[in-house]
Amino acid sequence: MKTTRFARFLSVLLVVAVLFSAIGAISAQDRKVIVTGISMVGGDIPTIDPQLAETSASIEAINQMFVGLTAQDVTNNALAEGMATFEVTENADGGATYTFTVRQDVPWVRYNPETDAVEQLTDESGAVRMVTAADFYYGIMRGLDPRTASPYAYVPVGYINGASDFNGLVLEDGGDAAAYEQSLAELQAATAVRLVDDATIEIDAPANTLFTAYIYGLWVMRATPEWVIEEFGDLWVEAENIATYGPFALKEWAHDESMTLIKNPFWPGTAGVPQAKIDEVVFRFLDPQQQLAEYEAGNIDAIQIPLEEWDRIQADPVLSAEYVTGTNPCSYYIGFDNLEAPTDNVHLRRALSYAVDRETIVTNVTKRGETAARWFTRPDVNAAPTLELFPDLGISYDPTKAQEEFAIALTELGYSSASELQLSLSYNDSGNHGAVMQAIQQMWREVLGLEVTLDPRESATYFASLSEEAPAAYRSGWCQDYPDTNSYLYDVFFSQTTQNDTGFANEEFDQLVSQARLSQDNAERIELYARAEQILVVEEAAIIPIYWYALALMVKPNVERAPSVTGNEAYYLWDIR
Amino acid sequence: MSAITHPPAKVASLKPPAGQSLWSESWQRLRRNRAALLGVVIIVINVLMALFAPVLAPLPYDQQVLQDNNAAPLWVTRLFPNMKPKEEGGYVTISDDYLLGADKLGRDLWSRIIWGARVSLTVAFIGPLVSILVGLIVGLIAGYFGGWLDNFLMRTVDIMYAFPTLLFIILLMTFFRTSFAQPEPGTFAYSLGQLDTASGGMLFIFIGIGLTSWMQMARLVRGQVLSQRNREYIEAAHAMGANTPRIMFNHILPNILGPLIVAETLTIPTYISFEAFLSFIGLGVNPPMPSWGSMISDGSRAISSYPNQALFPAIALFLVMFAFNFLGDGLRDALDPRMRGVD
Repeated sequence: MKTTRFARFLSVLLVVAVLFSAIGAISAQDRKVIVTGISMVGGDIPTIDPQLAETSASIEAINQMFVGLTAQDVTNNALAEGMATFEVTENADGGATYTFTVRQDVPWVRYNPETDAVEQLTDESGAVRMVTAADFYYGIMRGLDPRTASPYAYVPVGYINGASDFNGLVLEDGGDAAAYEQSLAELQAATAVRLVDDATIEIDAPANTLFTAYIYGLWVMRATPEWVIEEFGDLWVEAENIATYGPFALKEWAHDESMTLIKNPFWPGTAGVPQAKIDEVVFRFLDPQQQLAEYEAGNIDAIQIPLEEWDRIQADPVLSAEYVTGTNPCSYYIGFDNLEAPTDNVHLRRALSYAVDRETIVTNVTKRGETAARWFTRPDVNAAPTLELFPDLGISYDPTKAQEEFAIALTELGYSSASELQLSLSYNDSGNHGAVMQAIQQMWREVLGLEVTLDPRESATYFASLSEEAPAAYRSGWCQDYPDTNSYLYDVFFSQTTQNDTGFANEEFDQLVSQARLSQDNAERIELYARAEQILVVEEAAIIPIYWYALALMVKPNVERAPSVTGNEAYYLWDIR
Repeated sequence: MSAITHPPAKVASLKPPAGQSLWSESWQRLRRNRAALLGVVIIVINVLMALFAPVLAPLPYDQQVLQDNNAAPLWVTRLFPNMKPKEEGGYVTISDDYLLGADKLGRDLWSRIIWGARVSLTVAFIGPLVSILVGLIVGLIAGYFGGWLDNFLMRTVDIMYAFPTLLFIILLMTFFRTSFAQPEPGTFAYSLGQLDTASGGMLFIFIGIGLTSWMQMARLVRGQVLSQRNREYIEAAHAMGANTPRIMFNHILPNILGPLIVAETLTIPTYISFEAFLSFIGLGVNPPMPSWGSMISDGSRAISSYPNQALFPAIALFLVMFAFNFLGDGLRDALDPRMRGVD
């Protein structure tokens, strides 16, 4: 009896010892893994194809896996070295040629689940496939090709000679497909991107501006693996097919749940995009409320703060210490249909704008460190007017002026009272937009006696529907694509751009932003942009600027976040203490 | 002396008096059912709340006091220990202006719950109304005439039934909301859209629920008619020369009404929950019009910081659904002919 009990005790002890040693073995190879929900939403990342990406979730993932010809120092927006070095030569016609010399030491890689390692990819002869200028040429052309239907092609199109003809060629219904292919090939050849050799690519720009180099680094112009895309088609972005080259490689994409990136040891590191310090990044696709719950449960390391829980987090000594803020380069505004009644009346638009108490909105509704906006472009963007330099620029809450303008508007529109004016305010029904719109609805009611109806719309199709037909008044927002005021004023409100849903067209504005676009002198540009802003938000009141966003993140104390000001997180700079 | 003053009435009451109708007898049985009676009381209170919302609500349902966002009275913070007032190092703004607290835009929860009763109760009456109007007639015709007509109507019902009801309503709502978003003025779609806007988005909910609610009723009525059609009293009515509509409405209908009322009362909570669900997922009423479903939806996003914002509308919803369920249950017992003379 005694011996059996002793034997049983021994065996239990043995099992426990084995278990402990196993745990020891696991912790010995402790990997640095960061789980994050920043920029993610519930559902799935729409795509990680650089040429097809448009949401911040997609762009954030792509930035970790594909590096552009140029890169940005995410902590200060400065231009930094990416996959290439470049030289600019001025041309006789006022344009400029950018000559990029692409690094030759970066291989295409893929994660191999059998060996649990990132491996270099080889071609048929067994040689390692390196990223070359040809891969960039392919990526750029794939983005510009109208058949790819890249949602972001419109940005580089303005900065590559000949690209707009190529990108704009659409096959008419019932058109001759063969002739279409033929003219596409001709236009592609006429597009001023030249592949000189494996290391060199040249691009002709219509002008030498301060920000063209940033545009050439955008995700839509990154290198993509032609041979993988040819073989797998739309499925090339799946983990078992994809080829990448940046600081991280794709380890797993569990659709609708999470995406895991693993450090790419073959990425040599550049000044702008160094080697990753951590082993893995896991993106979890969760809505803000779920993110916070997971954060408090310790399952996720970095999240965005949901508005509803803000007060509690601020009052909690532990949670408030983990709160991180910073620049989030986006503007929140209400756009008007400037062409159709009743919002084609400038006095009505101005009245509505004067009647919005932005300070109250940022302190009592959105709460998380936003700044009441007086104009469209964020002041911390390059060449943007700042509140210090232009204390009286722009528009702000002024009920008296609002009522005066409203009275004029009613007379001009032929209404005897505010109740005859029918106006609806459309918005995408997600996040806090409903709360902000209801607050504005009440402000218009109180200041102007105007009763507007709210028109909440489905988020997924909202922005596409704006481009088709802009509602009379609609909520919108704009985040910079590259750190320059041109990305705000020219790209969105120049009369000819595709992003201009308002129909706003003003000759002086167009002339100002075109001049500022080409100028190399930032002091002069600030003056020009200040004048343009005054036209946009006061004289024409084409939009109502509401607020400039701020970051509201929570990051666990053992995680070192790189303070990005670009609105995208750079996980290759993050670390774990 | 005392023996003589014994009330003789008591003896009489042991036996149901001759000539008492089924309905008054049922009412007496219902009155003895405490749970059902409680249900009736809750429903009556809610109906009054909905009718007199403008008078009863202390504040307008859409009046925002943005400074008081998420404010709560002291007793609510005592009820939920994690809702610590600011004065005690917590985060909750204390304000006794709001009986149950205020939402994230500083709107009074209690007033919004009172106004929200309108939406829920309107659905509770529109649902049965459509269902009885359409379902009853279809069921009567199918059951009474039989043959190819019966076959045709019932197969139609079968096909409609094949759609999962809730999914069907969601599809309908999405269709309405998108196709009536911006029609040309003057068209039928435009006037429908205007009506919907004027009703705060309720019109399309009614249409959606109405379109799906009548099938079950039609089946039930048809079954009941089939069981009555060959009874002797119908033959007698035929023999007396009564015409078809008279037989259908004056002879058959009164005899099958009991089960129909019970079935319909028990379905009302389903309609209420459909509306709440639609509003919860954002397909229901338009803001700032409150519905309990949309209030629970808004509140659920702040559930760990301000549980009162989801809990109170949820209690209101629970009470009304509970009330209709118990009333339906009580009616079933009360209207059952086999219960006659029992108790």
